[in-house]
Amino acid sequence: MIATWYALVSLMLIIYVVLDGRNFGAGMLHWLAAKTPEERRQVVAAIGPLWSWHEVWLVGFGGTLVAVFPRLMASAFAGYYLALFLILWCLILRGISIEVGGHIDDRLWQGFWDFVFVFSNFLLAILFGAAAGNVGRGVPLDAEGNFSMAFFSNFGVRGYVGLLDWYTVSVAIFAVVILAAHGATYLSLKTEGPVHDRSAVWAKYLWPAAVPLFIAISIESLVVRPDVPRHAISNPFCWLGMLIVVGAIIALISGLSTRRETRAFVGSSALVVGLLVTGAAAIFPVMLYSTIAPGNSLTAHGVASSHSTLLLASFWWPVGFALATTYFVFISRRYAGKVSVKRDTQGFY
Amino acid sequence: MNSTISDPAFWSRFQFGFTLTYHYLFPQLTMGLAWFLVYWKWRALRTGNEEYNRAVRFWAKIFGLNFAIGVVTGIPMEFQFGTNWASFTRYSGGVIGQTLAMESMFAFFLESAFIGALIWGEKRLGPRYHFVAALGVALGSWLSGFFILVTNAFMQHPVGYRSEANGQLGIASLSGYLLNPWAFVQFTHNQMAALVTGSFVVAAVGAFYVLRGLHPTQAKLYLRGGTFVALIASFLVAFPTGDQQAKMVGKHQPVTLAAMEGRFAGGRMAGVAVIGQPNVAARRLDNPIEVPGALSFLAYGTFASYVHGLEEYPVDAWPDNIELLYYSFHLMITLGTIFIVLMGYASFQNWRGRLMSSPWLLWVLMLAFPFPYIANTVGWMTAELGRQPWLVYGLFHTRDGYSKVVSSGDTIFTLIGFIGLYIVVGLLFLYLEGREIAHGPEEEIVPGGGAVAGNRQVLVPSPAELVANRKAESLV
Repeated sequence: MIATWYALVSLMLIIYVVLDGRNFGAGMLHWLAAKTPEERRQVVAAIGPLWSWHEVWLVGFGGTLVAVFPRLMASAFAGYYLALFLILWCLILRGISIEVGGHIDDRLWQGFWDFVFVFSNFLLAILFGAAAGNVGRGVPLDAEGNFSMAFFSNFGVRGYVGLLDWYTVSVAIFAVVILAAHGATYLSLKTEGPVHDRSAVWAKYLWPAAVPLFIAISIESLVVRPDVPRHAISNPFCWLGMLIVVGAIIALISGLSTRRETRAFVGSSALVVGLLVTGAAAIFPVMLYSTIAPGNSLTAHGVASSHSTLLLASFWWPVGFALATTYFVFISRRYAGKVSVKRDTQGFY
Repeated sequence: MNSTISDPAFWSRFQFGFTLTYHYLFPQLTMGLAWFLVYWKWRALRTGNEEYNRAVRFWAKIFGLNFAIGVVTGIPMEFQFGTNWASFTRYSGGVIGQTLAMESMFAFFLESAFIGALIWGEKRLGPRYHFVAALGVALGSWLSGFFILVTNAFMQHPVGYRSEANGQLGIASLSGYLLNPWAFVQFTHNQMAALVTGSFVVAAVGAFYVLRGLHPTQAKLYLRGGTFVALIASFLVAFPTGDQQAKMVGKHQPVTLAAMEGRFAGGRMAGVAVIGQPNVAARRLDNPIEVPGALSFLAYGTFASYVHGLEEYPVDAWPDNIELLYYSFHLMITLGTIFIVLMGYASFQNWRGRLMSSPWLLWVLMLAFPFPYIANTVGWMTAELGRQPWLVYGLFHTRDGYSKVVSSGDTIFTLIGFIGLYIVVGLLFLYLEGREIAHGPEEEIVPGGGAVAGNRQVLVPSPAELVANRKAESLV
């Protein structure tokens, strides 16, 4: 039961990262892939009317976490206090920049909101990347399961660590590159004309750039958490994640080289999913590792709600998830195809 | 107040109160406005009258910006359960997390899947799906209100829970938790209040256009629909929903009722103060002018009913800001009474066909729209200050709920950040909505001709006419 809920909560977060990750990526490439005001409206229209729907996956993840792993929510959110508020403020700025940028047809106005849009998306990719690094590396949990962490301490990965160190910064850089590549693949699927051509070029450069970074953080992860592979090897979900990664890479390469954009985007999304599935499965059952004393680590079993509470949640939760999937099908069909700034007036009032 | 200014709990309360009060300025409009959009969209489908589609297009833009700011200011609310109220989350997450998660799964997904389609998708979707989008958004927004009010109702009147072996709360009965009688009363009261805000805003924009002589057909649609819904909703806010809410407080939180009225001594024939200032140090209400027996009647059904006074309870069981609670409650009921009178008069004038030619009344309607926001805010302050000193009434103290690892310094830092950011967002919002309203609904396109200011001879039945006033009249 607890393992199932761990999988479901991870699934919600993974769906969020895949869906909003492409928006982070498109946002980071906003200035590079789109040069004129009309081209930039195209990028906004591609993120389009669905950014709030994507953010709901994060909200749903948070709500489900409160219900099934309340003690993890309590420890982690209080401990990551300042970092989380930075994420919140960036999410606020990003949403505002999408909504208000097109309200006024003026160069200065749109230029300013374009800046906010690029800046907040870039920072979000870094922050979520660093957050993933922190979950992997662990935090200085005390015996009561609490921690409080500065932005940086000595940049080391043992003992009283800070939010940023060489490992979490590497993961953040990797996240920026891979999400930018994901966003470029998405933009080339959804746009036409110069934005499409530039995005396709960016995708061709960014994906290969992610490979050495991936090898680097894989080696770093082994150094930081040498205990993980022993559990991971016996976890079938880890193998499943790797299988998805392999399939995704094949789809991505074939899609990019034959200009089949849908296939490339499916591959790109699956790659992000596969990496996160592998990671989430590898650290299970530890949800938050203690860098002070491994015995203080918070495991899924230790932080879960009671069995009866979990059981109750598993009656209604699948219904909600099925509904969300239905909306997803509706949305995908309604918004399929290239965006056209004339028809999709998103951003234009 | 129990919590002093150096206390981390004080700053976490301040931050939650600030961010929540600000956040709720936006959903209260969207929850109220949503049903106007559904109604107009439905009328457009049924009658084929393009005026209704014009109204939807215009209000969908107002709705969209409100919705977006509601989303981005709402996400911090959920995060703060973990960041600032970790001990509370640890204690009660197994219970309140159920509805927080349900809110996302059943309400937010629905609402946000259709919002883009509602605002930008008319051409992609066609009229029928566009109506479905409006309905989806309206249902989603009210469902999210329901789930969050169940969560709050649990904090006001905990039911359906059990204490687990490790001292935390778990669900004993999901139906008991979801069907909390307090939640039902609070939900209906709150949703009517949201309709009051929505309809006052619709009426105010209509009055603004009539006074300026702009968009006459649209203006009449807004003004008539707005005043009619506002009258019904203002009445329902007071009775039966507000009345039932007061009875609920009297039954389950008698000490809160005493504090809301500034009653220090208990007794029969308890009055409702029209004017008066609570003096907590001297334990009396200064300069009181009371309606005798009114509180006894409202709370317990007879004038002779006994209403408890604060002095019957230990001081540490009193709500910790009696003055603010007292004023919040009185401001809410004063404003609520004025709303009924104002909208009653406006609907009467409309029935007589004199609403459009009463500039004074139109001025009042135009300037009245901020007051439902104030009434909603002080209403929530009454609920939340009245719950103190408990986080979960009778089970868990507010002073035990905050995150022990987060210092006052951290919280003040983020509070300053929120204040700065929200001032910018607020100014931006006012500027853009003002611009949108000044710009107005799109011009009418006369077939074969150019755009005109919208003074064609068309018959536009308003909601008011349909229900209250059957006489057809030609709108010029």
